[in-house]
Amino acid sequence: MAVDPRRAHLADPRRTALATPTPPPPPATRPPSSTSPTNGVVNGSVSPQKDDSPDYRLRFCTVCASNQNRSMEAHLRLAAASYPCISFGTGSLVRLPGPSLTQPNVYQFNTTSYQSMYDELSAKDPKLYQQNGLLTMLERNLGVKWGPERWQDWSIGAPRLDNVAKGDQGAQGSEAGLVDVVITCEERCWDTLVDNLIERGGGLNRPVHVFNVDIKDNHEEALVGGKAILDLANSLNDAAKQERNLNGQPRGDFDEKVPNILAEWQERWPQLPALWSLCWF
Amino acid sequence: MAVPLDKQISQLNDARRIVLGDPSFYPRVVESILPIVGANAALELQRWGVEFLAETFASPVIPNKVKEQMAIPVLSTLKDLLEIPGGHDTAVLKGVVQASASVYPLIFKYMHGKISHYQGTLLNSFDNGSIDNPIDVPVWNNMALIKSNIFRRWDTSVSGVKICCIKFVQKVIQVQTPGVIADPRRPEQNETSIALVPRDHPLIPPPKLEPETSGLLDRLLDVFNQDTSDAILVDATLNCLGILLRTRQSIANKIISAILKFNPLKPANSPLSTKANIQIRSMEKSTRALLLHVYRRNPESPITARIKQYVDRLTQSRIDIFDDGVSKKRALPFEPTDGLDSTKRRRLGAELPPNTGFPLAPNGPNSLAQLYTLTGDQTLASFDVKQLPQDLVVSISQGLLAHINQQELDQAINFVRSRFLSISKPPQSGALGEDEEDYEPDFEPNEDREQILNRADALPPEDSAEAQAEVALGPFELPQPPPLTQKEMAEVGRGTVNRVFGMIPVLDEPAGVKKAKPGLNRLAGSTYDREAWITFITRLATRAPAGLSDDGEEEVESKALTPANSQPSQLAEVIRDNLWRYIMEDFRARIHVAISWLNEEWFNDKMQQQAFTGQADKDCKSSPPKQYYETCVLKILDGIMPYLDAKDKLLVRFLSEIPEVSEQVLERVKSLAKDPERVDLAVRGILYVLSYPHANFPDDHVKLTSMHSYLVMFKPPAREISLDAMEDLWRNYDDAKAPTTKYLQKWRPHVLPPAPAKSNLQVPNGAIPAPEVKEPRSPLPTPVQGGAGTAAPQAKGEGSDLKSPTGGGMPVAAAG
Repeated sequence: MAVDPRRAHLADPRRTALATPTPPPPPATRPPSSTSPTNGVVNGSVSPQKDDSPDYRLRFCTVCASNQNRSMEAHLRLAAASYPCISFGTGSLVRLPGPSLTQPNVYQFNTTSYQSMYDELSAKDPKLYQQNGLLTMLERNLGVKWGPERWQDWSIGAPRLDNVAKGDQGAQGSEAGLVDVVITCEERCWDTLVDNLIERGGGLNRPVHVFNVDIKDNHEEALVGGKAILDLANSLNDAAKQERNLNGQPRGDFDEKVPNILAEWQERWPQLPALWSLCWF
Repeated sequence: MAVPLDKQISQLNDARRIVLGDPSFYPRVVESILPIVGANAALELQRWGVEFLAETFASPVIPNKVKEQMAIPVLSTLKDLLEIPGGHDTAVLKGVVQASASVYPLIFKYMHGKISHYQGTLLNSFDNGSIDNPIDVPVWNNMALIKSNIFRRWDTSVSGVKICCIKFVQKVIQVQTPGVIADPRRPEQNETSIALVPRDHPLIPPPKLEPETSGLLDRLLDVFNQDTSDAILVDATLNCLGILLRTRQSIANKIISAILKFNPLKPANSPLSTKANIQIRSMEKSTRALLLHVYRRNPESPITARIKQYVDRLTQSRIDIFDDGVSKKRALPFEPTDGLDSTKRRRLGAELPPNTGFPLAPNGPNSLAQLYTLTGDQTLASFDVKQLPQDLVVSISQGLLAHINQQELDQAINFVRSRFLSISKPPQSGALGEDEEDYEPDFEPNEDREQILNRADALPPEDSAEAQAEVALGPFELPQPPPLTQKEMAEVGRGTVNRVFGMIPVLDEPAGVKKAKPGLNRLAGSTYDREAWITFITRLATRAPAGLSDDGEEEVESKALTPANSQPSQLAEVIRDNLWRYIMEDFRARIHVAISWLNEEWFNDKMQQQAFTGQADKDCKSSPPKQYYETCVLKILDGIMPYLDAKDKLLVRFLSEIPEVSEQVLERVKSLAKDPERVDLAVRGILYVLSYPHANFPDDHVKLTSMHSYLVMFKPPAREISLDAMEDLWRNYDDAKAPTTKYLQKWRPHVLPPAPAKSNLQVPNGAIPAPEVKEPRSPLPTPVQGGAGTAAPQAKGEGSDLKSPTGGGMPVAAAG
């Protein structure tokens, strides 16, 4: 196919993504506009499943810098697959692109809702933020949970019944405020998070597998990364379920299999470099 | 077991939901579920039970006191679950071990609290005569059994249980190693550790626990020594050591040393499978994370240098091994992503203003309290602590000091320090702006230019123009020039001398202008005319080695001139040379220059001789100073003699006015007699030495008789040599026979062949004093020399002691 060399760079997929960002499609299962009544239905459908031991579910936590794009995409994916899931950001502030590189939109963690960000940005410049995909992203996020949360401010093990009541996706099953697996989306976040766990001192005596899946911070990659994270979660959960189904047999070691699982996963997703460690809550 | 399993689980979940909503129900719920989930229950229930117990004792929302109470009944259940025959369910074991790890400190504290309580009640119980069994032996026994069971499983279990055992062991070590006692009066606030337990505790005696702890630590750290490191065990160990490193100083060094010996990349020699790759990367990252954590917490610690070194080496090895990984990582920043990426990395402090503290007046005085007030809260800042009672302040500060976060304290100290520096720095604008009257330029600043520039850089950029002005005011120090070579120095010296001589024609002035003669009151070199300049030059030449500035004899003596051939004398030679040339250019007009120069030379020679003899007593090393007078006289004489004509009075004047006449000088004079035309001149010159006229020195014509006696009378030491010369003339020069006979007859009649003339030696001798008396008004050849009131005539004015020629030169020198 003959392409004008001067226009060749436009053919670059990333360029195309920049010029016309592909907003993440709203999940098929739930439109972003859906509110608590729908959640009630979801909760109702999940609750009986949890009591069923064959449907044992690992609890997940997804983490990125601002708890907006990558962690939220993965959060949505995992929650949609009925995994208990919560999500956080490790940055000091929530940062969203603004009209220029030097004018980002900055928000506080924990106290600003996705809805208020959505309202603010659509009041500021709806065209711009629609075009760069922010509004679509926020629309997705506000359907998942109330607002971005900061990892460092999370009190591990504190009950999260409020989140269940608010209808956060993935809240069901994670109401005890504990998770089995944490997945970060950038090595920087992984470093921050592991350091933070060492800092906390592991007072809960609970092991937690902390993974990193390096995902570039754009809408397209977030979609791919979300898929990959769900794949990883499924693999891990399968292994955990297998262990529980052994019913007391001496050989059934989920934790030991984790490196294997990750290695297999890495071969399936070679473009997303992964990292893992066993940490303590 | 009538109730179906899933119904039971469902009920249990409801109960769980209740306690999650209201933690106060925990004790009741825990108590009621214990029988349901015990060792005899179904596996599902056991799993649910241990999970719930682990979650409960980990929960941050339950107070420790409540947990402690709940822990006691739970112990037996946990123990039973561990001791189920054939019970190997991983989930159950993991839950039990996790719960045990959380429970252990609680039980430990309970035992300690019990003994405290026991000691308290012991004192009271003497009254009523009964003592409760204060020590809860069964509780501790249960705990001890759980402990030993977990230790046994540590090696044999599957990894999932092993990692929980590792955490349990870490918890045991943490509890059984002395920690920091924050506040002894409030034990409930303190972290549980063996430091709180009395040495003689009956059940948990610290001396017995210490070796166990030490052994456990060794075993825990042994994972780093094993060849086939299992990533999950290494990671689990590394990630639980942070708290020990932070809170247990006594074992921190041991742990760090063990980690520093560990090489997580060691297995990475052979080609790696993806799994091995992941495991090695995992261990490497975990090691790095822990060490960097330690490093960041306490960058001042002595061990941090080793940590830094280790981490650097680790980074290098990792780059070597996983270069593909690195290239992937490097590629990241170049990816054009949408705005999210780059803005996210931008540091923006806009939303969170930094803590500025209590505002300080930029110029006005600030109190120490203001300086240290870091809160921006006005009401808090104005709170006067002195109002509080002192003991309250003491107890508050003790508690506070114990809980101070090191990082925050450091930050605060740095902040105060920077504030102090900012106000203690003198305001820059003041020095240049308002206080110009007080402004004293300091031309000898203590700092060099670099320092001033550095300081200027450090200043807040208030006004760039001012900053530049400050820089411009700094003095600029030229770099030292390279040292001159000997040759260069000689050249420069010669140039200087030439310039000095160049001054003479500039200072030229009409000869007749100055009529008034100051006579004896005259001060050499004080008039700044040509004559003064010549005095200056002559002394420069003669006394240069003694120091250019010195005028007095004392100075000359003290300076002793030991390095006689050093630089200054070379310079002097150059000056002498130039001086000679100057005189020769017009020796008739400048004969007075020659005479005053020779007087200076002669005086200087004498002074140096004196200084040398004075010094020779103390130090005989130095060689006698070089005598210049003689050479100079001869040189001048040689220079002028060819040009003298028969009737020249110049020679007579010259001979009369130089301070000393030597044989060599007379030798030169005698040589004139070789020329028949100038025989008379020579004879006159020598005769002048022998006799001197009584009368005035006539301007137009000099009588031979008077002239011949000149040297004899005024230079007694020269009389004999003059007569010798005269005799020599008479004998050897035919042309000179006629003029000399007459005088030889007078002075040395015996030389002559017997003649009719009667000899009277006595008369002239007796006549000598007479001219001396009249002398002051007499001898001056002033018309010829044109007002040259030089040293020589005045020397004759001294007259009274003619035996010492020095007497003539001295006053001149002293006058300068």
